[in-house]
Amino acid sequence: MKTLLILSWRNIWRHPGRSSALLAAIISGLWAGALTIAISNGIYQQRTNYLINNETTHLQIHHPDFMTERSPDLTIPQPEVIVSRLAQDPRVRSFSPRTLIDGMLQSPVKASGVRIRGIDIVAETATTGFHRQLSAGRFLDQSTRNPLVMGQALAATHNMEIGNRVVLVFEDTRHELTAAAFTIVGLFVSPSRQVDRTLVFVRADDLSSLLADRFISHEIVILLHDIADADTVAADLNTRFNGISARTWFELSPELRTLIDYGSITLLLLTTVIMLALAFGILNTLLMSLFERRYELGMLLCIGMGRGKLFVMMMLEALMLTLSGAAAGLLLAAMALNWLSSTGVDLGIFAAGLAQIGYDRIIYPFLHGSDYATVVFMVIFTTLAAALYPAWKALATNPLEASKSR
Amino acid sequence: MKPVVMTENLGKVYNPGSIPVTALRNATITIDRGEFTTIVGPSGSGKTTLLNLLGGLDRPTSGSVCINGIDIATLKDPELIDFRLWNIGFVFQHYNLIPVFTARENVAFIMLLQHRNKQQIRERADQLLDEVGLSHRRDVRPAQLSGGEQQRVAVARALATEPKFIIADEPTANLDTAAAMNLLDIMERMNREKQITFVFSTHDQRVIERARRVITLVDGAIVTDRQHAS
Repeated sequence: MKTLLILSWRNIWRHPGRSSALLAAIISGLWAGALTIAISNGIYQQRTNYLINNETTHLQIHHPDFMTERSPDLTIPQPEVIVSRLAQDPRVRSFSPRTLIDGMLQSPVKASGVRIRGIDIVAETATTGFHRQLSAGRFLDQSTRNPLVMGQALAATHNMEIGNRVVLVFEDTRHELTAAAFTIVGLFVSPSRQVDRTLVFVRADDLSSLLADRFISHEIVILLHDIADADTVAADLNTRFNGISARTWFELSPELRTLIDYGSITLLLLTTVIMLALAFGILNTLLMSLFERRYELGMLLCIGMGRGKLFVMMMLEALMLTLSGAAAGLLLAAMALNWLSSTGVDLGIFAAGLAQIGYDRIIYPFLHGSDYATVVFMVIFTTLAAALYPAWKALATNPLEASKSR
Repeated sequence: MKPVVMTENLGKVYNPGSIPVTALRNATITIDRGEFTTIVGPSGSGKTTLLNLLGGLDRPTSGSVCINGIDIATLKDPELIDFRLWNIGFVFQHYNLIPVFTARENVAFIMLLQHRNKQQIRERADQLLDEVGLSHRRDVRPAQLSGGEQQRVAVARALATEPKFIIADEPTANLDTAAAMNLLDIMERMNREKQITFVFSTHDQRVIERARRVITLVDGAIVTDRQHAS
């Protein structure tokens, strides 16, 4: 076997130019493919982290119809019992009840439709990281009556500044119109232009007292110690409590699911193109080599080298060429990713578009260990599949070729 | 003692399309151990066909070929390949060395196919290259060797497996006189000292003059089979 390995390796380098060209194609293809996968991973990771840290957390509890109707009276029944249960669950890191309502924000300039999020400041800051996106002022606290935090972009459209007052108008649980004045205490800038223009934060107590004559919760967001427990915790809650719907971050983020599905299809197509190019490269190189070496293959059969060894030799040539290319390509990709993991990839030219859909312009690409393994597996599979035909042709070599004139 | 090669009414008909072409007919030959035989004849007379049949590279359409008492026409393809490895040495007109191997590796490779001991392979390869006068060129690849040197490596390779006989198809056709004579000297010496049986096909008068037996083919049939004086 060692001799076959040596023979195959040296056969590869009979035509250094041809082998180098194929090797360069493999290296650049895998390098580019690996980086594309890594950037996709970075985008998914960033979006997932953002959603989990600032929007959905790992789990959310609602009234079963709240997500479709968003009516103010679709509240979580007996939230204090659920909260008590969550406080005892060792899988739960933190949680935050929210009071939610859609309404209008009115300023002397104009009125805008907004999504009003009433929060418990301590619980919310322990559970989500939105307070870290403040660009001016402070987050909600007890020092001001009816404090409000809004997006800097929304404030700009209303010519509002910190300290100005705005009026929130919305429907209460009795389906009557209610309005109250709030003081702007902070402004935020999130990665999403949409969020910056539509989301406002107020204290849950303030909002509850305007919506009903008791504390009400439309949503409880839950952060777990381990994201992998999300499905089981959701199932436990749905089993234990009637009249609620506990859903995981994945169920709550259809756009993320779409993104992942779309990304998967794109990556599949890209990978298919790279692997097809690899397959044709291997096929072409081996067939040319087979044609050029038919006298020699005939001679090997003449002198007593079995057809099995001939087959293995051709397969080894293909495998060694592509595996060395794959190793070099992935090594270069790993080096590039090592560098990019600190600097990130600046998608500045798409910054405006990315902000519209809630993405940062800086992406931190990365590859999982399983991604490397998958690429290597695919390269081996493609190479073996592509080498089968030339190797089979080699099997059919007639030993009489050795004595033919050339 | 059994003859090394024995053919009886050996025939080969090629049938490309519908017109049969008879390349060899009723060839009956017996070659004993230690013979130094050439097969001669004009182009298309069937020399290469006969050699291919003797070497188990092609199958006869009639008759039989026995090498050391074994009818090789009855062997299956893998058995035939193995039989060639252990029983027959080949020297080709175009040398047919493995270009990516050195002279020593070319000689050693065939012994590796026999799964011999590595130390033994190395020693035998060096010894054979020494015998053909190429010990100083053993680490050189074929591209750096002259035609004569390459053919001497091919002879060393053919001898490496200790075959029953060696088939050489036009071995001097591409060599100048000095290289051809040098090669013939080596093969004659191996034949004389080690009783190795050689069967050549050739047009080359230099080879014919050195052979001790000359079989002449014309139109696929043996027309003369003469012993020369040594």
